[in-house]
Amino acid sequence: MFRMSILLAALAASGAAAEDLPIENRPIFDAHIHYSHDAVIQVPPEQVAKILRDAGVRKALVSSSDDNGTQLLMAAAPDIIVPALRPYRRRGELNTWMHDETVIDYLEANLAKNTYEAIGEFHAYGSDIKTPVIQRMIELARARNLILHHHGDRAALDLIFDSWPEARVLWAHSGFEDPASVVDALDSYPSLWADLAFRSEMASRGRINPNWKAAFEQHPERFMVGTDTFAPERWYYVGPHADFSREWLSQLSPEIADNIAFANAERMLASK
Amino acid sequence: MRHWAVLVAMVVQVSAVHGEVLLSEAEISQTLSFGPWPPSLETDPSNRVSGDSRAIALGGALFRDPILSVDGAFSCASCHLPENAFTIPQARALGRAMLDRNSPSLRNLAGLRWYGWGGKSDNLWAASLHPILDELEMANTAENWKDVLQGGLYSRGYEALFGPLAAQPPEQVLVNTGKLLAAYQETLVTAPTAFDAFRDALERGDLVAAASYPETAQQGLQLFLGEGNCVFCHSGPRFSNNEFHDAGVPYFLSETEVDPGRFAGLQTLLSSPYTLNGIWSDDSQKGGAWAVQSVRQSHADFGTFRTPSLRGVAETMPYMHDGSLKDLNAVIRHYNEIDLDRMHADGEAVLSPLELSERQIASLVAFLKTLSEIRE
Repeated sequence: MFRMSILLAALAASGAAAEDLPIENRPIFDAHIHYSHDAVIQVPPEQVAKILRDAGVRKALVSSSDDNGTQLLMAAAPDIIVPALRPYRRRGELNTWMHDETVIDYLEANLAKNTYEAIGEFHAYGSDIKTPVIQRMIELARARNLILHHHGDRAALDLIFDSWPEARVLWAHSGFEDPASVVDALDSYPSLWADLAFRSEMASRGRINPNWKAAFEQHPERFMVGTDTFAPERWYYVGPHADFSREWLSQLSPEIADNIAFANAERMLASK
Repeated sequence: MRHWAVLVAMVVQVSAVHGEVLLSEAEISQTLSFGPWPPSLETDPSNRVSGDSRAIALGGALFRDPILSVDGAFSCASCHLPENAFTIPQARALGRAMLDRNSPSLRNLAGLRWYGWGGKSDNLWAASLHPILDELEMANTAENWKDVLQGGLYSRGYEALFGPLAAQPPEQVLVNTGKLLAAYQETLVTAPTAFDAFRDALERGDLVAAASYPETAQQGLQLFLGEGNCVFCHSGPRFSNNEFHDAGVPYFLSETEVDPGRFAGLQTLLSSPYTLNGIWSDDSQKGGAWAVQSVRQSHADFGTFRTPSLRGVAETMPYMHDGSLKDLNAVIRHYNEIDLDRMHADGEAVLSPLELSERQIASLVAFLKTLSEIRE
């Protein structure tokens, strides 16, 4: 029902240059993917890899609760998966993790045995950032120059940069802020990138929102798309989400569309 | 206008003879919002035969006749049993294969904004067309249906309402058939229940009559309004906001398929010619078309389903979009222990485990049963 064509999958897998492809086949770097404990049981890694390939997802930033899901996907699709370490053993910890010192043991153990590009996605609002657990997590990221994938408000974002001014931060869901507020944050922090996961307002009924379009044009190298597979069934939304993204991206200049579709995320990773 | 302070002061006197009215002034005010019932029935301007007694009779006959099915295998009543509150007791109906969703009851459908679990229609006549055309249900075509109708028992009744069949394109015949079925379904309205007697007594200020409503049900109503916050989605006289939500029910269909819910419903709706904004509506003013004109797609649509009405709910088990919860007790327990791990952190913020006691669960079930005519 939601499967992309075999042609698209083959082209994406071959790494063909975006400019050689029709707009509807534009590759996607999905910057907001989870493969958590329940998804591991219900959608096997091989099926996940097929979903990503069928959707034309060239790369995916994956964080999971617990990390076992990410490691399973790394084994199943090493060419696609970009691993991030989430500070949760189960998704239900997202409101409490910053007060749980055992999270640090969990992070350190995984950082010692696996390779990651980011820590996150983690949920933190306002002064949560000052808690010893989050401060230690930031130190761990700093020691390895890992990206911080942060889900939270502007106040927390400011405190992250207070703690580590050179941090590279990917702001999940762009903080659920309006375009002007996201632009303000991007103006403030040169090493901040903005993911648009679970945001639908960029386009509606086939037309791009002018305020978002202006934001993309002001910061053409800072935005990226993501599905957010927060429940096992959401894996079957990866394909429709990629299609949705391609549709609204096609209303931007080809260069900006390619940037948001995949190039910004790739440059973010390369900025290490 | 209402003298609640006086009414509440009367509680002590009332309780000396009967039960008590346990509700606070605010709870009484909220309770009044669930009525009056039944609502006044207005004809549907998008359906020229809405309210026409001939159309209602013909629509009812077609509803029960498997002639609508390409091979005579199914009638509407096969999956919407009149003797079973116009649904079936099974979780999902068996069409030409097992269908994906629970058969919704067809009562109290007049005047809704959206129809179906996924909301793929904005009017009742369009909603009536889907099962006729669906390959897993009646699997008919407009062309075949016109041929069958033209030579059959119902042609005279049809032509009396819509004119000569031979001159009409098959699609027009199909749409008119949907309008006949809709005219019939508009008449399927649940009767007032013990809850309505309670609610109406409160409106009259008749606390003596209101106090005869069981205390357990009143306690359940208080939970419904308060701690349970069920009213957030189950609001108004139909006990439904008629919008789409993630109720924390898994929506896998198989190991490799899911039910996209509202996401797919909107895709169908937005590409349908059979909306209130389309050429098949009989309403020149396009009343109600604002909804389909303005509805927006969202990532949150995926896996959400329309809030069902709770009118007559005790008669329509099993529950939820897939019929996965066998009775009202199971539904309350689902919300009592809802798995927030499944929900997006910025999604259905209203939901959290209710953590009700066994006694509270029983009260809530007792209240819900008073929305049906069933007596213990």
